[in-house]
Amino acid sequence: HYFIQSNLRMFAGLSKVGPQCLKLNVISKPMIQAKFLSGSIVTHWKAERYVSILTAGAIFGAVVAPSLAVDHSLAILIPLHTHWGLEQVFTDYIHVKPVQKVVSISLWLITAATVLALLYFNQHDIGITQAVKDVWNIKRVQTEDLG
Amino acid sequence: HYFIQSNLRMSYTVRLCQLTSHSSALSSIRALSAPSEYKVPGTEKFFKKQAVYGRPLSPHLTIYKPQLTSMLSISHRGSGIGYSILLYGGTLLTLLPGGFSHYVALAEQIAPGNGVITAFKAIVVLPLVYHTCNGFRHLAWDTGKGFKIAEVYKSGWFTVGVSVVLSLLMALLL
Repeated sequence: HYFIQSNLRMFAGLSKVGPQCLKLNVISKPMIQAKFLSGSIVTHWKAERYVSILTAGAIFGAVVAPSLAVDHSLAILIPLHTHWGLEQVFTDYIHVKPVQKVVSISLWLITAATVLALLYFNQHDIGITQAVKDVWNIKRVQTEDLG
Repeated sequence: HYFIQSNLRMSYTVRLCQLTSHSSALSSIRALSAPSEYKVPGTEKFFKKQAVYGRPLSPHLTIYKPQLTSMLSISHRGSGIGYSILLYGGTLLTLLPGGFSHYVALAEQIAPGNGVITAFKAIVVLPLVYHTCNGFRHLAWDTGKGFKIAEVYKSGWFTVGVSVVLSLLMALLL
């Protein structure tokens, strides 16, 4: 969705420049990634895809070979993937500058808190994989017949 | 989606051009930059003027025909958002006193019958499975594959089918 907007603008910019030079027109700074000019947008885009693949792999790993290491990677990858996804969502829908700032900061805080909480949970409680298994296997407790 | 992805490819080629013709690209970027559509002079005035005149906005989402492409796309986003909420809620649960197993035991006390639980599991896991399958579809697009309309529709229906089947299997067998 970000790419729709940025590429529409790029079309507009390119038409101004003419066909003889395809200089990249940096039209507007994306809301969050102010370092567009250095090309980190491309790095960010690639990082998003790699993290997606790693997250899917980590979930698969949790199913076939659960361990503390897998739990810790899940504790980092899932909130990271979630954070970047939600960032794209609110970049698409929120255009008012002050609201953008508030939401951006809140999202960072929530993500940080989630990562820390999950890491703590892995270390001092049963861990993500076991927790999911426990919830998945919830069955009605057979009450004793008091007859 | 055609438009998005074809523009992604264009952005890659343009980027390549910029990298190879390094010299004056950077110095001319500031001169060539233009503001976003929200800052183009006249845009904000236009919207304010329409509001002052009390003119209604034309219908858009309410009249656009739902298509597989758009429905799957918004479902991908919606399932992602839904699971974010689950993630944050679950994390909150882990922070409550007493340990996680304590709350699992509580849930077992109030759990409904097995049939209801199985149905519930299938419904809860469907968005996650769909998001994962559609995620792979997105990754395929990111490598440049599968943009023909026929391919988009085929892969779309395949994703839906696989998601439903996988969710049912997981709920019944796992």
